[in-house]
Amino acid sequence: MEYIVETSNLSKRFGKDLAVEGLNMKISKGEIYGFLGPNGAGKTTTIRMLLGLMKPTSGRIRIFGQDIKQQRKNILAKVGSLVENPSYYPHLTAYENLEALRKIIGVPKQRIYEVLEIVRLTEVADKKVKGFSLGMKQRLGIAMSLLNQPQLLILDEPTNGLDPSGIIEIRELIKRLPEEFGMTVLISSHLLTEIDQMATTVGIVTKGKMIFQDSIETMRTLAGHAISLKVSQAEQAWRLLLANGMKVEHESGLIMLHESSNEMVAEAVRLLVQANLSIYRVEEEKRSLEDIFLSMTREDSAV
Amino acid sequence: MISMMQTDFLKIKRKGFWFLTFLGPIGVVALQMVNYGVRKEYLLQQSENDWLYYLQNISVFTPLALVLGIAIFTSFIASIENETNAWKQLISLPVSKMMVYLSKFTILACLLFISSILLMLFTLGFGIFLSFDEAIPWWELVKYSFYPYFAALPVLALQLWIATVSKNQGVPITTGIFGVIFAYSAYMLPDWMIWKWPSLMNQWDEPLINVLLGLGVGCLLYVMGMLDFTRRDVK
Repeated sequence: MEYIVETSNLSKRFGKDLAVEGLNMKISKGEIYGFLGPNGAGKTTTIRMLLGLMKPTSGRIRIFGQDIKQQRKNILAKVGSLVENPSYYPHLTAYENLEALRKIIGVPKQRIYEVLEIVRLTEVADKKVKGFSLGMKQRLGIAMSLLNQPQLLILDEPTNGLDPSGIIEIRELIKRLPEEFGMTVLISSHLLTEIDQMATTVGIVTKGKMIFQDSIETMRTLAGHAISLKVSQAEQAWRLLLANGMKVEHESGLIMLHESSNEMVAEAVRLLVQANLSIYRVEEEKRSLEDIFLSMTREDSAV
Repeated sequence: MISMMQTDFLKIKRKGFWFLTFLGPIGVVALQMVNYGVRKEYLLQQSENDWLYYLQNISVFTPLALVLGIAIFTSFIASIENETNAWKQLISLPVSKMMVYLSKFTILACLLFISSILLMLFTLGFGIFLSFDEAIPWWELVKYSFYPYFAALPVLALQLWIATVSKNQGVPITTGIFGVIFAYSAYMLPDWMIWKWPSLMNQWDEPLINVLLGLGVGCLLYVMGMLDFTRRDVK
């Protein structure tokens, strides 16, 4: 399998501290890879190494199958990035900021209008960035990262400082990229809900180590859901289901059904209806991903 | 490289770079306007060759303006990238770090060179206005306008290096201030100090030595600065 990004045993040491330790990251084409971890876990350091801003202490990075050490310029020509806070020149207008990059990248001027349109900054193109709100600066940062029509887009905390509508907008935009432009996206965040709504694959890092890397579905399975039933006469219902060999619990007026296959739920409902019990609610109870995430990052390695 | 420099020229827009480029030579000549305006008769009595004496008067302040200008320019150009840490954006583009550094150096060298041309023109203009008896000493005029520039290249290379690698802009400003003080007291400095060179003074009384030293050591310091810049991680 050919990966777009592949790191092997990537480590970075700052003085005595190992910021990143033996990281193996694998990102396939067309994925939205959610790079998740608490603040200070080594996400940004990893991203900086991917972009050639920092040299790894040890380990190897291959992007598009090429080694970053030897092919840095070739690789970066096909990568767009937004690292931490957006970088811009406040004394220049939005257009001039993009123009400054465009001259180096060498794409046609038309592309500037395209990316401004994508992030909806067309109207303020000729205003100085100094006066922009944080959200607008963030959007400008995303516009900058899209300027060279990258095949790999690396976004570090892209929804930082955005208001809810801005967050949704950026999220929708990011979701569109793989299909419409064939991009692969690496997006880092310390917020699981953020990643949960966008990513197809998740890598969780804590204290510089990757502790989980798999599809978001696998991660959701780990969330292990149960079905809760609210019925009249819970006690009676519980006994009935138990008598029929189901794994159920009775807690505070709710029946918790631990096997949640469709057949099992249907069977349980049928039994209850036949016993003339009223069913008020059937709900899926998820152990929130937030909980899993917290327990994983606390214990260092849960998987 | 051309596109990199175009980008850098775009970035220095509205930051007062061009204003300073003009202000430097105007300031130097303006000081002599005051000087000659107040006591022209006295000054004309001071020497046999009024044109040369006038050029020497001008050249007293040229090194000071140069070193001060270098300190301000280098700190400014670094602060443009430092302000929002645009280094990370810039370096993650498909450009070599050497090119980034070379472009900054070249831009500043260009601006200072333009300053030197302006200095020559302004000096010439005011000299003609003063209507000295002697013919215009063209070669001396060129020498006094451009020799200090070449002799100041090591200071430019050093200040750019310090400014680009310091996270705290207090560091280059401090070295810049010391540079200006050194340039001001050039006559008492030993010959090996680079801040003395723009004054064109040396024990052999041969300004050309300062020019050659400036070019040589300037190149050396430039290469050292560039290599150090490429070696460092971008935060």
